[in-house]
Amino acid sequence: MKSKNSGKDFCMFALPGMFCFFAVVIIPFIYGVYLTLTDWNGVSKVKNFIGLKNFGGVMRDGQFWTSLLLTFKYVIFVVVIVNVLAFAIAYLLTRGIKGQNFFRAGFFTPNLIGGIVLGYIWQFVFSRVFVSIGESTGWKLFEVSWLSDPTNAFIALVVVSVWQLSGYMILIYVAGFMGLSEDVMEAASIDGASGFVKLKSIIMPLMMSSITICLFLTLSRAFMVYDVNLSLTAGAPYGTTEMAAMHVYEKAFTSRQFGVGQAEAFILFIIVAVISGLQVYFTKKQEVEA
Amino acid sequence: MKQTTIGGTKRKVTNALAMLGLIIIFIAYMFPFIMVVINSLKQKRDIIKSPFSWLFTIKGLSFDNFVNAFTQMDFLNAFKNSLIVTVSATVLVTLLAAMLAYYIVRHNNGISKFTFALMVASMIIPFQAIMIPLVSIYGGTLNVLNHRITLIFMHTGFSMAMSVFMFHGFIKGNVPMALEEAAYIDGCTHSQTFFKIVLPLLKPIISTMVILNSLAFWNDFLLPSLVLTDKKLLTLPLSTYSFYGTYSADYGTIMAGLLLCVIPILILYVALQKQIIGGVVAGAVK
Amino acid sequence: MRKKVIARSISLGLVLVLMTAMLTGCRFGFASDPDDPNEEEKEVPIDTSTDTFEYDASLSGTNITLLNSKAEIQVALEKMGAEYEKKSGVHVEVMPVTDGDSPYTKVVSLYNSGTPPTASILDTTDIIALAEEKAADLTGEPWTAEAEGYLTEVNGKIYSFPLCIEGRGIIYNKAVIEKALGESFDADSITTQSEFVALLDRLVDAGIEKPVSMAKEDWSLGAHQLQYIYETYEGTSEGAQKVIEDIKAGKLDLSSYNRMSQFLDGFDILKKYNVAKGDPLGADYDEMAIDLADGKTAFWFNGNWAWPNISEAGANEEDEYGFLPYFLNDDKSDFVNQKIQASPSKQVMLDGQIATEKEQAAAKEFLNWIVFSEIGQQMLVKTCNIIPPFKNNPYEPGDPLSADIYAKVHEDKAFNASAIVPNDHWAVLGASMQKYLAGRSDREELISDIQKYWDEQE
Repeated sequence: MKSKNSGKDFCMFALPGMFCFFAVVIIPFIYGVYLTLTDWNGVSKVKNFIGLKNFGGVMRDGQFWTSLLLTFKYVIFVVVIVNVLAFAIAYLLTRGIKGQNFFRAGFFTPNLIGGIVLGYIWQFVFSRVFVSIGESTGWKLFEVSWLSDPTNAFIALVVVSVWQLSGYMILIYVAGFMGLSEDVMEAASIDGASGFVKLKSIIMPLMMSSITICLFLTLSRAFMVYDVNLSLTAGAPYGTTEMAAMHVYEKAFTSRQFGVGQAEAFILFIIVAVISGLQVYFTKKQEVEA
Repeated sequence: MKQTTIGGTKRKVTNALAMLGLIIIFIAYMFPFIMVVINSLKQKRDIIKSPFSWLFTIKGLSFDNFVNAFTQMDFLNAFKNSLIVTVSATVLVTLLAAMLAYYIVRHNNGISKFTFALMVASMIIPFQAIMIPLVSIYGGTLNVLNHRITLIFMHTGFSMAMSVFMFHGFIKGNVPMALEEAAYIDGCTHSQTFFKIVLPLLKPIISTMVILNSLAFWNDFLLPSLVLTDKKLLTLPLSTYSFYGTYSADYGTIMAGLLLCVIPILILYVALQKQIIGGVVAGAVK
Repeated sequence: MRKKVIARSISLGLVLVLMTAMLTGCRFGFASDPDDPNEEEKEVPIDTSTDTFEYDASLSGTNITLLNSKAEIQVALEKMGAEYEKKSGVHVEVMPVTDGDSPYTKVVSLYNSGTPPTASILDTTDIIALAEEKAADLTGEPWTAEAEGYLTEVNGKIYSFPLCIEGRGIIYNKAVIEKALGESFDADSITTQSEFVALLDRLVDAGIEKPVSMAKEDWSLGAHQLQYIYETYEGTSEGAQKVIEDIKAGKLDLSSYNRMSQFLDGFDILKKYNVAKGDPLGADYDEMAIDLADGKTAFWFNGNWAWPNISEAGANEEDEYGFLPYFLNDDKSDFVNQKIQASPSKQVMLDGQIATEKEQAAAKEFLNWIVFSEIGQQMLVKTCNIIPPFKNNPYEPGDPLSADIYAKVHEDKAFNASAIVPNDHWAVLGASMQKYLAGRSDREELISDIQKYWDEQE
């Protein structure tokens, strides 16, 4: 686009999209940050400015830091497993395997079901289907519901998140692989590069932009996990699987400490922003122009 | 898509192994969905006591759940509402995001950089953090809740960042400047260039974004529940509320309702899959 | 490409099949089996021939909204609203609170959006939190005279309408006990904890290996079970309040408080005979109802709200179900071993801030209509299946659980105490109770959790 008329271009191309975005996301967010500095409880008419007192409340809320630690653990598992799995499946699905279109449609099904409902279905699968399989087969693995043991409930959360997120990431990786030119792959094969070398030195660098996107998306989504957390475990058993986003919500509405909850949400945002900022910075450096 | 034949038998063996692995993972992926389909045809008691049993061993297999779900949801009306909201918001966000991303890629100025950085950062704002401020601004101050158009506008705003992010990456990598320059030389205006030259090149990413956005809008629960309270305006997910009781849920009806919600989007996906694949291939051949 | 065509035709085929099935309402298999538990329940007829209620004609045409947080009566409330509209011309829109969304959150977001409901059905804690800021003063409304003993006051004023009485205890299935023991069973014959244990042991000997079901849900453990320690102090709401104040002030040591250890004794008994003992936190609520109806168990700790589940599991209104008290000790003169807890739970609050005079007047008339009109009285009991807290309501609830509570309330075999605790009490301490139930913590840890919870409250 040439630079003449750039004011007109801006109004025509950029402004409408920016307007929607600022009006719906940024302005409420700024207003929300302002609310963390007041003693507003979500209901009252008066809002008194109280400075950083709510952030002091965050420091004292030990459960928040516990849930944050758990969230970190969860994020590591989810991000690694989702990306490895999605990358591998996408690779297979673009190698000309028979019926790959059919498979692609199948791997897409997790996307069809919205967050809350999805958690309920999995809860049903873990607590009823698996247990009934356990009853009829006598398998120790399914003898008791996974959701009643802290470690297994955590694994269940990871499994469901992987299932849900990888469907989405497969889509993006598939698009990335389809963008790789077949010549590169063929050339590599003729040169006699072994599978692993081919993967490491030829495919990975070319796929880096897809990897950047997928890492960023999984990272941010895993940190923000709420729907699945609420409907699959709701923090059970005894509050051991309560992740940060769910804790924030509970703090604001169940414990009725609106300001503290809002401040925790803000802190969570800062942490995720820093981590995914670093991730994007480092993976971008690895990208090569195709 | 033709299979490449380099490698001979070794390739065949690895392919067979890959196929096997794929089938196993595939079944694992489909498992919950299969459970939904099977149990949507059963009665509550059978769902709870024997969720895994095969259909023909169960007495009272019936489509009752579907009939109940259909009437209780006021399906046709909710379907219409969902359709209006999803289609308008998807069209709006796809178009506006493509234009905004195009502007950002081609104008590497301060505003572009700032907006893009802000958008990427905003993708990690927890929705719960802006939920109350959002309703107090749009409801308390502007008083525009309970209109479809407000919901469409909000859906557009919320998915803008993600869409711009995806379009940005695609335009940067797959749309060559040379084509546009040729268009300018031929005397095209900026908007002509965008709509006639650039937009067609974006087809693969447009199909992907249409799928992802329409899915998100179609399935979303929290935002519509904040914006719409008028019964006549409820979307499909909102209309399934009554299946969830305070103490226990009506599993059969929920699963039937879920399938009723999902089928339209499944059709959309099957229809668009050709576009996604065809488009990406066309782009790669360039 | 061929596969895609197949996938497409499969999905289209599926849609077509579903559509035809829905349109024709077809059923196959043995769906019309006589003991089909899903069979449509027959509607209780409402006699609308007499109606002496005086309607204010000037209110006709007004629209009011009612936020409903009691999901199981959503349809019933809609019917009630429609009936009221027929008579008064006031349109009542019943808005549900959805799962995953607490009633309080819903009300808060509705107030923030500037469109609060004219009336809201909420829990007592929510009412107290919102009363002075948002609610209309209902002191002196005609119905208050009929609900004596069931009114909640905030600084001497009444802001809420008690919608129903709910009671809880140990539900028993009489037929199962009688069949197992081979003799008739009289619930009143069990008067102490030891007698209850003896009964459980006899049932075990008779082949019911684990005769008790108990829910793992935090609201059941944290609210319905644990709150006995406050409510049994002397069986009144004031007493419960006093215990809480004393715990907060450090005047009452929980580890030596007798109701605390007695409650845990009672809880341990249920825990010992729990049908899901192997995996207590994997227990499924719906399965408990089925187990009780089938006779796999004989007892279920729950409240009268469990009836829809039990009935869905195959029980009939003619079957004999009832409540045993939550036995705390062996003292026959202690009221807790003879009475069950029953008190008003859900309350209706009217918006006094944004609703117009006319809307408020219409909402007030609707409440009076529920209490005083012949139709409203019938519908409250028969359509909503509620135990009315109003003296003048002559109708008795039809299901055995509600009927048992109703009888106990009228025979002075129920105590009316409800502890007003902070909103997160059930969630926070429910988690501690789950830990105790799963055997992952001991009494000492549980008690220190409770103490710590109260220490953190302002």
